[in-house]
Amino acid sequence: MMGFASLLQQIACGAIAAAGFGVLFNVGSRTLSLCAASGATALGLRTCCLGMGMSLEGASFVAALSVGAVLHFLHPLMDVSHNVPGVAGCIAMVPGSFAAKAIIGLFALTTGSVGDELDMLVTATKYALRVFFITGAIGTGLAVPSLLFRRRVPQ
Amino acid sequence: MENDATQKATDPKVVFCSPYESALSSLEIIATASLEAGKMSMEAGANAIGVETITQIFALGLGARLVELRIGYASLAITVGIDGASITCVRKVGDFRVNHRLIHALGNLGTRVAKGQLTAERTRSELGLLRGETPKYSAWITALAVGIACAAFGRLLGVDWRGVGPIALAAIIGQYVRQLLLRCHVNAFLCAAITSFISCVVAGLGARWAGSATITVAMISSILMLVPGVPAVNALRDILEGHPTLGNARAVTVVATLIFITAGLWLGNAAINEWHP
Repeated sequence: MMGFASLLQQIACGAIAAAGFGVLFNVGSRTLSLCAASGATALGLRTCCLGMGMSLEGASFVAALSVGAVLHFLHPLMDVSHNVPGVAGCIAMVPGSFAAKAIIGLFALTTGSVGDELDMLVTATKYALRVFFITGAIGTGLAVPSLLFRRRVPQ
Repeated sequence: MENDATQKATDPKVVFCSPYESALSSLEIIATASLEAGKMSMEAGANAIGVETITQIFALGLGARLVELRIGYASLAITVGIDGASITCVRKVGDFRVNHRLIHALGNLGTRVAKGQLTAERTRSELGLLRGETPKYSAWITALAVGIACAAFGRLLGVDWRGVGPIALAAIIGQYVRQLLLRCHVNAFLCAAITSFISCVVAGLGARWAGSATITVAMISSILMLVPGVPAVNALRDILEGHPTLGNARAVTVVATLIFITAGLWLGNAAINEWHP
């Protein structure tokens, strides 16, 4: 029951965050609902995948891939660009807090005020690597559907 | 004598030019109109394939038979040609602000151009109108939406309910200040650092005043609107889709932006600890 409540909260927060970013990206009012739906789908899928024991990187990839694929096929039907709604939907999965923690950790190392410098370095590096892999997973997941289904004409 | 000279200078000139010069003149109009469309789409947040597609639609629709495009981070270069004559034009790309409605409007205009409904001159004037007439949300509505989005982010990151209000308030103030700074053409990196500092201080003090147990996460949540998500995803897509130079330039800009955001956060954290240890 607690898991279901947590899933609902993730879906609701994902939808709100994506719609908010939709306004920031000047998305039209009709497309805002698409942003909210893609945010809800992305966060819902990621939570389900995490619940099944997947890593955060893998879950982010599956969620971004699914959102990218759905938007790729909806694109001709709904007359909207699939790039921005996809990014707005997946932006809630971008690990901004990990990035901040990684850079703050590295800043702290330079001040010499840290007790265990090695431990701080390992922690900051772990955060930085996770940022790198999660952002890569989201970007690749969003790009793969268009790479798969759109062929480049040879020059 | 002097009157004659003045008369000649004010008379409309009749210039006889060769077919080659005439072709070059029309090619220049096609190239500038296509580059303007590409520049606008790039500044509005399109990835390399999107910019390439828009530019080609405009150039081919206006009558070019040959279109070659080079997309750089800060400039676009196009070569267009008709019947053996060709011309190359370069255009600087300005500040980057995601604008989905502008990209959509450019796509619609491109469809009309591809159908041959517009001349090159008319296309240029329509592009000028698009820039001014594409609707935008007001600064306050954008700030309010960003505040609510950051509060939702906070809940996703595990902030308790007492910290949600301060996050929303801090993000609203931060986003409004950010828009003011961008309107004054303040450097985008400095703007990110200043906004991050202000949001972080407001969120930190607010969360402490509200009795939140998750002050640090609340401070981080209040600056998440600054995280360059679109450039980060575009960077990877550009690399995957065969534009590694542009992708790398975008990735470096993303990293630099993150460093400035974190510098603001770090300074804000230090200021709060100094005032209320």
